[in-house]
Amino acid sequence: MWTTSVITVLSVVFQYVLGFALALALHHNVPGSSLYRVTFLLPMFLAPVGVALIARMIFHPYLGPMNDLMGAIGIGNLPFLTEPNLAMAALISVEVWQWTPFVTLLMLAGLQSLPQEVFEAARVDNIGAWRRFWDITFPMLLPISVAVVFIRLVEGFKVIDTVFVMTGGGPGTSTETLTLYAYNEGFKKFNIGMTSALSFTFLVVVILFGTLYLALAQRLTRRYA
Amino acid sequence: MEERGFRWMGFALALVWFVLSLFPLYFVLVTAFKPPLAVSRGPTYLPFIDFQPTLQAFRDAFLGLRGDFWGPIVSSVVVSVSATILAVLLGSMAAYALVRFEFRIRLASGLLFAVIAIGGFLLLHDLWGMRVPFALGLVLVVALLASVLVNRLPLPGPVLGNNDVTFWFVSQRIFPPIVSAFALFLLYTEINRLGLQLTDSYLGLVLAYTAFGLPFSVWLMRDFLATVPLEVEEAALVDDVGRFRIFFQIVLPMALPGLIATSMIVLAFIWNEFLFALLLTSGDWQTLPILLAGQQSSRGDEWWAISVATLISIAPMVVVATVLGRMMRSGLLSGSIK
Repeated sequence: MWTTSVITVLSVVFQYVLGFALALALHHNVPGSSLYRVTFLLPMFLAPVGVALIARMIFHPYLGPMNDLMGAIGIGNLPFLTEPNLAMAALISVEVWQWTPFVTLLMLAGLQSLPQEVFEAARVDNIGAWRRFWDITFPMLLPISVAVVFIRLVEGFKVIDTVFVMTGGGPGTSTETLTLYAYNEGFKKFNIGMTSALSFTFLVVVILFGTLYLALAQRLTRRYA
Repeated sequence: MEERGFRWMGFALALVWFVLSLFPLYFVLVTAFKPPLAVSRGPTYLPFIDFQPTLQAFRDAFLGLRGDFWGPIVSSVVVSVSATILAVLLGSMAAYALVRFEFRIRLASGLLFAVIAIGGFLLLHDLWGMRVPFALGLVLVVALLASVLVNRLPLPGPVLGNNDVTFWFVSQRIFPPIVSAFALFLLYTEINRLGLQLTDSYLGLVLAYTAFGLPFSVWLMRDFLATVPLEVEEAALVDDVGRFRIFFQIVLPMALPGLIATSMIVLAFIWNEFLFALLLTSGDWQTLPILLAGQQSSRGDEWWAISVATLISIAPMVVVATVLGRMMRSGLLSGSIK
């Protein structure tokens, strides 16, 4: 439970910040943005299992490029997948890698739907880019942000394939997510009752959490609007 | 001045992310062509300079030296294509109904459905000892009929409209799939006992995946179909053309780009799906993600072979992503995703 929450919350925070920044960059048509649009979409459509396998290869202790890089900067070999904290970090970075495009895609659609007049008015009044972002863009995109973060949180809670392939929940059970735990109980230990109970609890937790989140989000958007 | 600074930051960020998203894919591509020795000597990046590329890994994979490879490919393709067609067809029909007709569903009748379904099932199964599939089927039919009839009565309580129905569809995506996947597994094994093979079979997988893909297709197609102008349809209605012909010959062709985009998204989700396949297949109908997950344990980490398998499983999705990216650039998707 704790593991799942940590992975989900941390990766969603990174995804949102990075994804939003990338969407802003694309929206303002930085050089080569049409090329980026296609490549940025790519990770999202790859099978999580495939991505996890690639990640295992990248993070491999002595065959992977990641430790090659670490060696080059002088940190030396790190046991990415066999040390609990590092394994979590690796998992989170894979989640971020794969799902930031999703945030970018939706935020970009949101940005493109904003009325242009407001920005022109701000430009005329000579308001700086930083303030323009915090006072206009961000509040106006708050509803879609809420939706995007909600989708990602809910999806993040369900994660199993990445973990299943990358660490198998290990070392020990330090990266075992809820779904993986339920699966292991039912299909490795044949504890069908336990799995049913777990998945039902899981459902209740997600519903409770979702309702809470949406209620909070509604108050937040109302305050801004 | 400040403007320029932000532009530079944005550009740098985009460039860094571009490299980050492509590098892992490049590495897999390169690894797939490496001879085993080149892999185990540590990471190398440039073909022809660091190592001599070889097609050995591809040959091994397709000749079946590392276990059945064609089987999962075929079953992945067959299952995901048929489930996608079904899901998109049913989903766009449902979406069309949601766009064109107004539904009024009383909450009370919905509750009645739940009460009859759950109560009736407990009664039939636990008290009278009826087999699970029969009890379930009977109860669902009875509950559906009862709630449709009751819906006509002027009952108190809130009335749900089209938006609520759509939310109901989308909400299926919210709850964790392990809940439904596991329930489905139990139900399938129950039905297996009656002689109809559902676990590890074409029918069972397609059914599960159709249900899995439906929320997406209803949700996306609803937005696409809402943009189809009403006048053409009205003209056709005046000319006494049937609803089905209107739908298939007028509405669907007009929403073709949306239909393609939806199909591709649904296809991608089904193609990549892991949990259902893990639970519901065991041998004959294993899909590619399961094969991939199994790669690592079967013979140690043979990275060149794993790379080939990974490449094969992601290649179709690269095509999908490219096509969708182009559609997005032409502004086609931006309207619908909002």
